[in-house]
Amino acid sequence: MTRETFERELQRLQDNILTLGSMVEEYLIDSVDALKRRDMAGSHRLIAYDRQVNEKRFAIEHDTLTLIATQQPAAGDMRTLAAVLSIASELERMGDYAKGIANINLLIGEGELIKPLVDIPRMAEKACAMLRQSLEAFIKRDVWLARSIPPKDDEVDNLYNQVNRELITLILSNPQNIDQSNYLLWAAHNLERTADRVTNICERVVFMVTGEMTELNTSSGEQ
Amino acid sequence: MLRQTFEQKLQTLQTEVLLLGDMVDTALGAAVESLTRQDLASAGRLVADNCFITQKRLAIEAEILSQIATQQPVAGDLRLLVAALEIAAELERMGSYAASIAQTTLSQAHQPLPEPFLSTLPAMGQKAREMLRQSLLALARRDIMIARAIPKQDDEVDRLYQEAHQALVVLLKTDTQGAGQATALSRVAHNLERTADRVLNICEWVIFAITGEMKELNGSAR
Repeated sequence: MTRETFERELQRLQDNILTLGSMVEEYLIDSVDALKRRDMAGSHRLIAYDRQVNEKRFAIEHDTLTLIATQQPAAGDMRTLAAVLSIASELERMGDYAKGIANINLLIGEGELIKPLVDIPRMAEKACAMLRQSLEAFIKRDVWLARSIPPKDDEVDNLYNQVNRELITLILSNPQNIDQSNYLLWAAHNLERTADRVTNICERVVFMVTGEMTELNTSSGEQ
Repeated sequence: MLRQTFEQKLQTLQTEVLLLGDMVDTALGAAVESLTRQDLASAGRLVADNCFITQKRLAIEAEILSQIATQQPVAGDLRLLVAALEIAAELERMGSYAASIAQTTLSQAHQPLPEPFLSTLPAMGQKAREMLRQSLLALARRDIMIARAIPKQDDEVDRLYQEAHQALVVLLKTDTQGAGQATALSRVAHNLERTADRVLNICEWVIFAITGEMKELNGSAR
């Protein structure tokens, strides 16, 4: 394989990462939307969608390992391929969180929610915006951009804490709210974890470019 | 490379992963202990030493990828290498949870831990670590039965998590001043619960290494 062919293969892998990223982003937004609209049929479909995310991830992993095995890349290229592997894995796990949220909608069942869903969709939007930026940092090999993203995790954490407080107040005012409160808290929890995983992607981008691993999230002791 | 040498390499890599697991297990135990005993010196060390866990993970990763590049392993060998790569990543993240708990020890040093947490959080930590050690044993022995039996134990962690959550509700009710503490402790519970979750991911990879089948044990759907 010539250098040009290798570059082309690498390009293709990066494109696939972007595709997987869009799939996961849409998955998260749609799952939260179905929860908000109490759309049971939609959530059923979304649960099944996880399989496609998993398949895409395994396809990327397979192609990356094949490239490593056949091309014996040098250190810098190897770090890029290692980044592809770990980012694909992070994205797939985010897909699991989206599936989890779809499942929560079914667990709550039909009927009105105990509170209008405002902060949770906002968390999803923020987490997805962070995700998009982290993948942009990856494609552009932009260390500066990668470093600027994890501090935004505080906004997601703040929303999480707000949701947490609000749900606890609802439990205190009426203990019957406890089941649904817990479900909604899990949904928020999954989004918070999604944002955490974006930080993992950012750390990986910095390592890919510089060869040095630094922890980017030191804010609230939450990683 | 001779087949025998490659076998040895695989064995060494597995040992390295198990060592990383041991480091993480120890860090988690020490982190929870630092919290209950308000041991700031220990917590400070844990936060600082987290970088050794990260470095070990990256060293394992580099070695695995270099083996894939030079040996072009297939089937079972490749699966084992991929699984080891993923397991090392899971372990490193658990190490971050330990560091995060140690940071809570530091930030909450000004007030003692309320009673229910002195038992609930260590119990969660114990259970999660027990699951972790079993998952490492499943890897060392290539034992699917052990790996498949672990997810059931996650229910216990979830139960303890609910217990901690209820104690937090009480804490907020009785002591509005304790809001900062409640949030900090809820993060600790949360980190321990995630640790157990990640053990399930390790079990998935052990089963994958042995059978080639990837089945989700961890729904994250509670």
